Amino acid sequence: MIKKIAGKIIGLIVILLILSFFVFLLLYLAPGDPAEKRLTSQGIVITKEVLQAEQERLGLLKPFFVRYGEWLLGVIRGDFGLSFKDDRPVAAKLAAGLQNTCILAMASLVFSLLISYPLALLSAMRKDRIADHIIKVFSFIGNSLPNFLISVLLMYFFCIKLNLFPVIADGSLKGLFLPMLSLSIPMISRFTRQMRSEMILQLSEDYVTGMRLRGVKERYIAVNIIRNSLGHVITIIGLQIGTLMAGSVVIETIFRWPGIGKLVMDSITSRDYPVIMGFVLVMGTIYVVINRLTDLCYHLLDPRVRT
Amino acid sequence: MMEHHMLEIRELTASYDDFQALRGVTLDVPRGKILCIVGESGSGKSTVIKAITGFPGLTVNGGRVLLDGEEISSMPRAQKRRLLGERIGVIPQNPAGSFNPIRVFGPQFKETMKSHGIAYQKEDVIQSFTKMGLKDANEIPGMRPYELSGGMNQRVAVAAAMLLEPKLLLCDEPTSALDVNTQDRVIEEFLRINKERGTTIVMVTHNLGLARKIADTIAIMYQGRIIEQGTAEEIIHTPREAYTKRLIQDVPRLRRQA
Amino acid sequence: MKTRSKKTRRQLLIRIGIAAAIAMLLIVVVVFAGAFAPNDPYQTNAAFIRKPPCAEYPLGTDNLGRCVLSRVIYGGRTTIAATFFLVAVSFVIGTVIGILCGLFGGIVDRFLMRIADVTLAFPQMVIALAVAGILGGGLGGALIALGITMWVSFARLARSHTLSIKNEPYIQTALLAGKSTGYIVLRHILPNTMAPILTNALTQIGMTMIGISGLSFLGLGVVPPTAEWGSMINEARAYIQIAPWAVLAPAVATIITIIVFNYLGDAVMDYRDL
Repeated sequence: MIKKIAGKIIGLIVILLILSFFVFLLLYLAPGDPAEKRLTSQGIVITKEVLQAEQERLGLLKPFFVRYGEWLLGVIRGDFGLSFKDDRPVAAKLAAGLQNTCILAMASLVFSLLISYPLALLSAMRKDRIADHIIKVFSFIGNSLPNFLISVLLMYFFCIKLNLFPVIADGSLKGLFLPMLSLSIPMISRFTRQMRSEMILQLSEDYVTGMRLRGVKERYIAVNIIRNSLGHVITIIGLQIGTLMAGSVVIETIFRWPGIGKLVMDSITSRDYPVIMGFVLVMGTIYVVINRLTDLCYHLLDPRVRT
Repeated sequence: MMEHHMLEIRELTASYDDFQALRGVTLDVPRGKILCIVGESGSGKSTVIKAITGFPGLTVNGGRVLLDGEEISSMPRAQKRRLLGERIGVIPQNPAGSFNPIRVFGPQFKETMKSHGIAYQKEDVIQSFTKMGLKDANEIPGMRPYELSGGMNQRVAVAAAMLLEPKLLLCDEPTSALDVNTQDRVIEEFLRINKERGTTIVMVTHNLGLARKIADTIAIMYQGRIIEQGTAEEIIHTPREAYTKRLIQDVPRLRRQA
Repeated sequence: MKTRSKKTRRQLLIRIGIAAAIAMLLIVVVVFAGAFAPNDPYQTNAAFIRKPPCAEYPLGTDNLGRCVLSRVIYGGRTTIAATFFLVAVSFVIGTVIGILCGLFGGIVDRFLMRIADVTLAFPQMVIALAVAGILGGGLGGALIALGITMWVSFARLARSHTLSIKNEPYIQTALLAGKSTGYIVLRHILPNTMAPILTNALTQIGMTMIGISGLSFLGLGVVPPTAEWGSMINEARAYIQIAPWAVLAPAVATIITIIVFNYLGDAVMDYRDL
């Protein structure tokens, strides 16, 4: 058991090292000279001497692997370097954004589960009846809608036509609602579809037939279905983490939600490479870790695997 | 007025989509007796039970099923649900799998009892286990299906079917998943239930030898019809249909006796 | 039981037919954009700025007085062409890698499959976003960014199907008969792996379209003034209050197109699962 866990941890470290290398390579291969970028973005007139001094100061003249090593050591200590734009530490900027993004992502995740779980249950228990068909059509359409379209359309109808919500999502609860809804709609559709097929699978299990033959009420059958599909929820959430991350970038940009997604889009516009790198590194790490954790949780939830 | 049989089936027809599984089945099961329905797979023998209990995908097209003289084939869903467990106990093809594999037995029995408006008493459940000859009966409510052997699971399933003392027990190949020794013990259990509690039993099996051991009457099924019916001795010793004779020929021990 | 699957099979074929017909129609419209667009999509008209739909401009004009309908039709050409190009390239690269890995195995196979595993371990769109962002926009950057991860599913499928038919007797016979590897691949392996890989390609179309238009919407894909649905929506959302048609037209076009291709992909997948 300990050996297994150690193996998993080593695997995780290797993946994270690959990620860090990829991120560093990306920056290395990026068009343009970082020193020059940094100076221009701070509005300093570039002369040869100034540029060389800046390159020296940023350590750009050292060999590739030395630079990677130094950068990696910094990252491990939580030092992601300084933003080109305002010389503030990237780590602090990312942390502030991440906090807001987590609020948005968590709210969407909880909201999506609260909506999709009952829908999936209804759809599965009433398979091939009217309710099921309606839910299937809506979840198919929702699954085909890009986040940016949902956001723009929701903003148009709720903020401009109906004037119900502020156009810019400030930190308030009311401001959270539309971004959350935009992020949730495709997720609800996917959760519902996947949950429905999992529940239909459960419904065809012998134990459900057994319960029906004992005259057990549908209500209790539903309880058993819910209990047995819980392990699957974690897998499904794990599958959506990537979508959630990409979606939050788009949605935060549109609603100006001060999260990590908006931060990275601003940084892309101003070519603030350290922030972009930090973003990929942080998001990649979260993604990898969550995927491993969902794996673990899935095993812990199933008593047959647990023993 | 004529006395009702426990179960009367009249001209029952049923189909899966376009496949006609039952083509007019008529059967009488007298109170307290054991009837075996014997046939090859695909003969429709299991479908008889499924048509009585209601099964998704199976459409009953015609005919009547009377339980103790009461028409049950056209009953509304909710009423029919109460019937199962209360007046009809069913042991499905894979009894060991008839419980949620990841939950302990206790709450699962509780759900069954509450579904029939009966307060859950742990002692009642434990007693039903003891009646089935299960050892350490008071441990079982806290255990999960995978913690018991196949044979023990089987007994728990029979205990569940008999929990509310139904007068009719339907079994669909209840022993096919068991080894020969366990099979014999389970068969004895059925005989005991029949004798001690007076429960009427309908058992579906492909095994004519088994049927002969347990049944008062045997019905031979072929292509969705009952082609021959009689006491076990009649069927084995003086079969009328060629098909029945062939079935007997297939069981070495019976072949010698016939 | 048999008749049942026959029935659903027919229903599915009808569904596939309808979806394929609509998809073909969309493709024809964007391929022959010139014949269907009422106006030049790049022609600005200072006298007709943000005008609502009228006879001359059936879907109104945008803030430069350009015909929205024409831009939607030409924009569809960009989106659909880019999607098909990307899927096709990933398809070819992935299939070649997959078949070679499956056929020869060994260290190259292990290396490439490990790369595939690692690629899947990271969040696709986050990587795409960063790559496109650092490459500094442009359709090329967006295609590379999305393509980095897209080949993997094709390679895995091709590899597993190659592996499963590699030891079939007819391939062994062909080998014994002295047929060349190239001949075997073309004659036996490709035809037998095509169906699942093509199905995968079909199901990737919708997702790819969402990716491309999403990156363009963020300004990391197609750059204005080139017409593309995502970038059109992004441009026009600034004045959505005055000219909602300039947003709604490309939005509806995007939704319909993605739904049609997703529907087609789902239906074909269901058909193959039968």
